[in-house]
Amino acid sequence: MEQAGFFQSGEAQLFSVIHRTVNPACTLGFVMSHPFGEEKLWTHRAFVSFARVLAARGYAVLRFDYRGCGDSEGELAHSSLETHVADLEAGVKYLQSQVPSLQQIGMIGLRFGATIAALAAERATGAVAGAPLVLWDPMTDGDAWLGEMLRSHLTTQMATHGKVIENRDALRARIARGESVNLDGYDLAAPLYDSCNRKDLLSTEPKTHAGPALVLQISANETQKARTDLQALGAAYARGEYQRSTEEPFWKEIRAFYGRASNVEGQTLAWLEKHHAAV
Amino acid sequence: MQPFEPVSFPNENGFRLAGTLHRPAQPRAGLPAVILLSPGVKMRVGPGRLYVPMTQLLNDQGYTVLRFDFHGLGDSEGEASETQLIDIYNQVEVGRYVADTLSAMRYLREQHGFGKFMLGGLCGGATTAALAAERDADVTHLLGVGIAIALSGDATPAKYLTRVELDSRRKGYFKRLMQPKSWLRLLTFQSEYGVIWRSLKRMVIKDQAQKQTQASEPVQSMALGNANPLFPPAFFAFLKRGGQALLLFSEKDRLPSEFEEKFTLPYAARLAPFQGQMKVHTVPGANHVLSMPEWRQEALAVTHRWLDEQAAPAGQAA
Repeated sequence: MEQAGFFQSGEAQLFSVIHRTVNPACTLGFVMSHPFGEEKLWTHRAFVSFARVLAARGYAVLRFDYRGCGDSEGELAHSSLETHVADLEAGVKYLQSQVPSLQQIGMIGLRFGATIAALAAERATGAVAGAPLVLWDPMTDGDAWLGEMLRSHLTTQMATHGKVIENRDALRARIARGESVNLDGYDLAAPLYDSCNRKDLLSTEPKTHAGPALVLQISANETQKARTDLQALGAAYARGEYQRSTEEPFWKEIRAFYGRASNVEGQTLAWLEKHHAAV
Repeated sequence: MQPFEPVSFPNENGFRLAGTLHRPAQPRAGLPAVILLSPGVKMRVGPGRLYVPMTQLLNDQGYTVLRFDFHGLGDSEGEASETQLIDIYNQVEVGRYVADTLSAMRYLREQHGFGKFMLGGLCGGATTAALAAERDADVTHLLGVGIAIALSGDATPAKYLTRVELDSRRKGYFKRLMQPKSWLRLLTFQSEYGVIWRSLKRMVIKDQAQKQTQASEPVQSMALGNANPLFPPAFFAFLKRGGQALLLFSEKDRLPSEFEEKFTLPYAARLAPFQGQMKVHTVPGANHVLSMPEWRQEALAVTHRWLDEQAAPAGQAA
């Protein structure tokens, strides 16, 4: 059964869907953390599909939209790294309140959503502390990620003006002046930019999260190099594991339709099976 | 953002379709319910959340709005068996989601008492709206943003470039004449020679899109290339029963030139009696999804004025 509803995070009401399970003794649940901007839309169905697989296997799952995203309230321009982490934490509490049998709540995130999940796990207590943490292709270098985001603005400029009118430095200056920069319809402004603009957004220092952690690098093919930052991140968790999965970059428009990310799903389920007997 | 409620309803195959119902703070009697239809495989907020400000505008004008996910997409039930986006796009153009749209109308009719509908959407969502309008006479208004009236096809999209697109490509070729990379592409057989030839040919032979001068003239289907044969009959059926349409386009998109060269010019004579029912506006400089705030503001302002014109009681509302 899927139950759409809302929960409060700060001043914003966030839209969510709980995938309930028929398992009355359900003790492990998951909150899913979506990627940034239009990537959320491209990956939405893959998230829904995986949530349904988990629910069918006896786990309660919460999917939700960060403030300023999807059906949630708020302006993305007002969001920051801190508001994202707070939204995820509020999601965890909401799931716990809706499914009281849960003893552990794990988090599953993709790209920026994985980064948020990893940061939230570091300050988690209670149900999250020892629960599984699944990081699908997390962004570790905030500076590089923001550069990648700003590139989409340059692409729009090329498509509409035939040339780049404002380069990345000009866009950064605009943000510094307190304006926002539009990325495919999403406003990136100082609160999020400044809070993410560092190389060690997700450091590879030893982590405090006590639960099992899967760091999954997603590569379009096996010839792509292993990301050393993700290998180090996997090693930073006491119970961490780094793996690679072959999948097209389904968070952007590609030729393939990704109703589900089968390889990512399969590897994640196999990893969960190792760490949680009920899977 | 106006408070809204999550809803769901079955489609004709029994799959539950998930959506959100947005009611206005101050409903106005007589207005149709608005259904915003998703483009391609995107979920119900639309690319760049375009449908969020559209919904807000419609709510502010007193309209109730339903956004929902088609079967196999978004939060809805069902599975799409296709593995390639193009295969889904091709099917959208021939009505893949028309039945789901009619189910949404049935839901609003039976559960909320609406009798008239405005169907809207971007790109494939607008195409679905037009095709659904042909099937149900209770559709009184269309709000199309970048309506796609040509078939995507798969093998040779360059074959069907419009005259405007060919001229634009030629300008691009001239700009890149001094770039070694461009010459390398040309000399290593990586260029689209057919497109280059056709764009250069237009410097000498400036053929124009065929304009229909009499409603009785047959429209030369060959001249329309990949035009969607389902669109004209659907759109004319809608216009003939008095339907009102606002069609917004983006200047930096291929769609306005496609619409002109493959529909408004070839069908000019047949369209003439309906000019008062159809407003077409192109947002200068905009891209396909109206991503920049200034483009959205203009599109919303034009929509606002059009809605004001339509506000006279048009039918039974809840």
